[in-house]
Amino acid sequence: MKNIIKTIALGALLATAIGGVAEAKGKTIAVSWKTFQEERWKGDEAAIKKVVEAAGDKFISTDAQGSAQKQAADIEGLIAQKPDVIMVVAFDSDAILPSIKKISDAGIKSIAYDVQFEDPNALYITFDNVGVGRIMAKEVLKVKDSGNFAFIKGDKGDPNATFLFQGQLEVLKAQMDAGKIKNVCETFTDGWKPDNAQKNMEQCLTSTNNKVDAVLSENDGMASGVVAALKAQGLAGSVPVSGQDGDLAAINRVALGTQTVSVWKNTDDLGKAAANAAIALADGTAVDKIPGVAKFNGGKKKVEMNAILLAPTPITKANIGDAIKAGHITKEQACAGVKDGVDACK
Amino acid sequence: MSSTGSSQEPGLNQEGAVTRFFRVTEINPRMLGMVAALILIWCIFDVWSGFINPNEGLFGGSFLTPRNLWTLLVQTSSIAVMSSGMVLLIVMRQLDLSVGSMLSLVAVASAVLQVYQLGPLLGVGHPLIWVAGVALCLALGTGIGAVNGALTAYAKIPAFIVTLGGLIAYKGIAFLLASGETVAPMDQTFEVFGGGVQQSWLGPFWSWTLALVVCAVIIGALINGRRQRTRFNFTLRPVWAEFLLGVVGSGVVLGITKVMNSYPWPPKLIENFAAANNVVIPAGIEDRDGSAICMAAEKFVRCTTGLIYYTGYSLPVLVALAVGLVMTFIATRTVFGRYVYATGGNPEAAELSGINTKWLTIKVFALMGTLVGISSVISSARLNAATNSLGLSNELYVIAATVIGGTSLAGGVGTIYGAMLGALIMQSIISGMSLLNLPAAYQDMVVGGVLVLAVWLDQIYSRRLK
Amino acid sequence: MAKKAVKRVAPKKIPTKPAAAKKSGAVAESHESPLAVKNRQDFEASAPLVEMRDISIAFGGIKAVDRASIELRPGEVVGVLGHNGAGKSTLIKILSGAYQRDAGSILINGKEVTINNPRDAKAYGIETIYQTLALADNVDAAANLYLGRELKTRFGTLDDAAMESETRKVMHRLNPNFRRFKEPVVKLSGGQRQSVAIARAIHFNARILIMDEPTAALGPQETAQVGDLIKQLKADGIGIFLISHDLHDVFHLADKIVVMKNGKVVGTARTTDVTNDEVLGMIIAGKCPKGAIPGPGAMRDAA
Repeated sequence: MKNIIKTIALGALLATAIGGVAEAKGKTIAVSWKTFQEERWKGDEAAIKKVVEAAGDKFISTDAQGSAQKQAADIEGLIAQKPDVIMVVAFDSDAILPSIKKISDAGIKSIAYDVQFEDPNALYITFDNVGVGRIMAKEVLKVKDSGNFAFIKGDKGDPNATFLFQGQLEVLKAQMDAGKIKNVCETFTDGWKPDNAQKNMEQCLTSTNNKVDAVLSENDGMASGVVAALKAQGLAGSVPVSGQDGDLAAINRVALGTQTVSVWKNTDDLGKAAANAAIALADGTAVDKIPGVAKFNGGKKKVEMNAILLAPTPITKANIGDAIKAGHITKEQACAGVKDGVDACK
Repeated sequence: MSSTGSSQEPGLNQEGAVTRFFRVTEINPRMLGMVAALILIWCIFDVWSGFINPNEGLFGGSFLTPRNLWTLLVQTSSIAVMSSGMVLLIVMRQLDLSVGSMLSLVAVASAVLQVYQLGPLLGVGHPLIWVAGVALCLALGTGIGAVNGALTAYAKIPAFIVTLGGLIAYKGIAFLLASGETVAPMDQTFEVFGGGVQQSWLGPFWSWTLALVVCAVIIGALINGRRQRTRFNFTLRPVWAEFLLGVVGSGVVLGITKVMNSYPWPPKLIENFAAANNVVIPAGIEDRDGSAICMAAEKFVRCTTGLIYYTGYSLPVLVALAVGLVMTFIATRTVFGRYVYATGGNPEAAELSGINTKWLTIKVFALMGTLVGISSVISSARLNAATNSLGLSNELYVIAATVIGGTSLAGGVGTIYGAMLGALIMQSIISGMSLLNLPAAYQDMVVGGVLVLAVWLDQIYSRRLK
Repeated sequence: MAKKAVKRVAPKKIPTKPAAAKKSGAVAESHESPLAVKNRQDFEASAPLVEMRDISIAFGGIKAVDRASIELRPGEVVGVLGHNGAGKSTLIKILSGAYQRDAGSILINGKEVTINNPRDAKAYGIETIYQTLALADNVDAAANLYLGRELKTRFGTLDDAAMESETRKVMHRLNPNFRRFKEPVVKLSGGQRQSVAIARAIHFNARILIMDEPTAALGPQETAQVGDLIKQLKADGIGIFLISHDLHDVFHLADKIVVMKNGKVVGTARTTDVTNDEVLGMIIAGKCPKGAIPGPGAMRDAA
């Protein structure tokens, strides 16, 4: 928890600096959250609130409690309070569109926070999920540039699972076309569940007779299942495995050498970026003049919109020390059971 | 069938050979049907996977290989353990929808204890850690089960509601315990319960020894049964039937053991083991498809005749089999089991016979909880990690396995071995389809279909019987 | 747990029962034991086996039984008559432990006792054959016969062989044709199921037997068999409550009849002192004839 407080303090400092320059006092920034059932959103809220309040602006928010209907009502309520910007974490990215139209009709700016909805007037701020896939593939390629690759994808109902896979293929395409990399197993994993990933990996190893040279797992939880399956065949450590989320256990595996990379999306960064963008919008800055904004049309309906795509951080053996320094994980947690070869653990 | 007082038994000459066979051997035709269905499913998957990717299975596929069957049994063990408890609950006209969430909660609690609490305190690898981890799983599972039971029996809230609440609530507690993170790695000794490491493999010698002991027990039980029947002047089975049961029973045990003993250690592990224990590796010619390890030009290579070890039974499978035996014993040989079945058949009659059905309800739920504890050890040890999603939707698989295994939701009827066989059928379908690289959505569809089909066939069967 | 409770209570009954020692296991003896003869001869003079005094019970404000008193002596058959809903089954279920009374007292051999559940009742030698038979349909005859009182091996496991053997013996006396010991009782005929329920009640040295509509589901031949059985049990000195809504079922078997209406006792009479028609009048109109002792439920203007 210490790390959160540190980053928040840092964010507050940054925000005060920006706020001082932007003179955005008295504006109102509103957020409609999809659910506080998942703990991470509370971290996001804390990050945004700090930046907004440090800038002298007002922060209001609502929690849709995992209901599209409630979220529509929430947004109407927010519009009535006449904020300058409304950020929306959409529970349902299609059902939210009429509410977004109401926001722009009321002359209020909207931001799609982390979850995309395809409205050309809105600013979309998220981590580059295709980029996460690219980073995974790049890090794995560094270790293994040819052979049989297995793809353990996330839940079939989650668009991120496809984004990630898409990013991985972009990087691997050249080698695959050249016939150097072969896709031997490719499965969706129900509910992103580690034990399902383990079973899928076991079946993959069975059907290929252990001839798997690298595994692209789309998150850290599933990577734990993949590593368990590899370990049972004595392959853990010799077959590169990817993951994302910066799970504590995954960073430990990276230190141990059984996982190659965990791509880490620091949600504090996302909150800070969104808050700063919101303040800029409230001050009247044009959307495409906000630093970091680029055109994005990678959504389902290919609608072109302005977006800020943050680059996530790959955690590998080489930079575990940074994660420890940033306070994301303690040295004891990261280095539990590590015998040698990792500088950060010495 | 006639059911008047004067002619209870149909004349033997009217009885068909098949009916007579089942009556005399006391083999349940339903169970035989399930075994046949299982074998059919296996064969289909082996043939089908052979088309996609030829391998060394019985019909040229990857399914009927020692390796896949070995993995299949390990994958089934967690659900099979829980389904044996669900049988008693459903027999007693109760239900536990919370087993999946309970498994997550128990596993995460034990992992937090091992990784975050005891690990730093005692030092990673301290023997107390795994003991405490297992003890916590069993105790917490039993405790939560008892709470479910007490709310059902004494607060008179229907079990469906109590455990539906549990399904939602326990998941939440599991999330809070580890803030939604995956907790890993488990203690090294604890991991042995998952079957993923070589310490949890019995090896051929002990596997054969165990198999022979089981065969001896089967034959002993047949002889003892015959002696009992003689003592009380009951009709005896014909000698051929006794022999048949003995031979088939022992044959099945030895056959399964043979398959388990044909699965070699992964070559990499043989290599590591040889290096660690200074075992001399013979020289040989490289063969990429071989399972043994040879030396060729100063290098370790795979070959057909070289250093090789076989796994034999793995610990989670043995645990599941032991649970099956103990639960069958409890269900059929103890007063507790008798009360459970009688209460399921007619709760009012049980109450009027002086059975304390409330206390019985608590005990059955607590037993279910203990089994969830055992399953949580197996699942988290196997994954070498625990997360709040570990047991997600396990309750559905456990109930499905129990129902496929012939347990009637109306209560009073169900067998432990049936439910465990049901779990094996279900896992066979899931693993087989995954082997064919079919998406999980199809697996769900087929498993759901099989569940409905099994109950439908069951009803046709029992209607014809009447 | 249940077993222990029974064992703890059980020793009490032995010293208070004059006929207990003599009687054990003598169900099938067709000749009367000297003690039974004596019991029968002076059943008016002997202490009542059971006395229920001023029993009341209400369900949701409705008085199902209202200040009912009833007694039973050794070797006596008391028919409890009344329409459906007259309270006769409820009254008797209080004695068998299925319901707990709101007021009143129960005396066994002159001593006040507490009966909170069926286990307590069984400890006092009270056995019941319910109208529904209360059989666990999914298990076999032996399991039903011994339900709650299983025989165990020295390892503490169920001794099914011994139970089946004993069941074969007792069933052979009640229904010599019965041979379906391996089948769940749901597959048996009505008469066979009845035999199992009766066997269960008489097998454990009952002192007091309650039979709730014992012949309701039976054909004429089986009804006659039950009649014979009742005579035999009576000869053994067992006290029997025979509950029925049909007068003809019980009149020739009972020594006394008690008629209930609307939860109250209309009257009590020896069957020798009243006629069929008079009893019918008691059941239908609540009129108490001269030969009967009127109870709280008797019509004021009657007789």
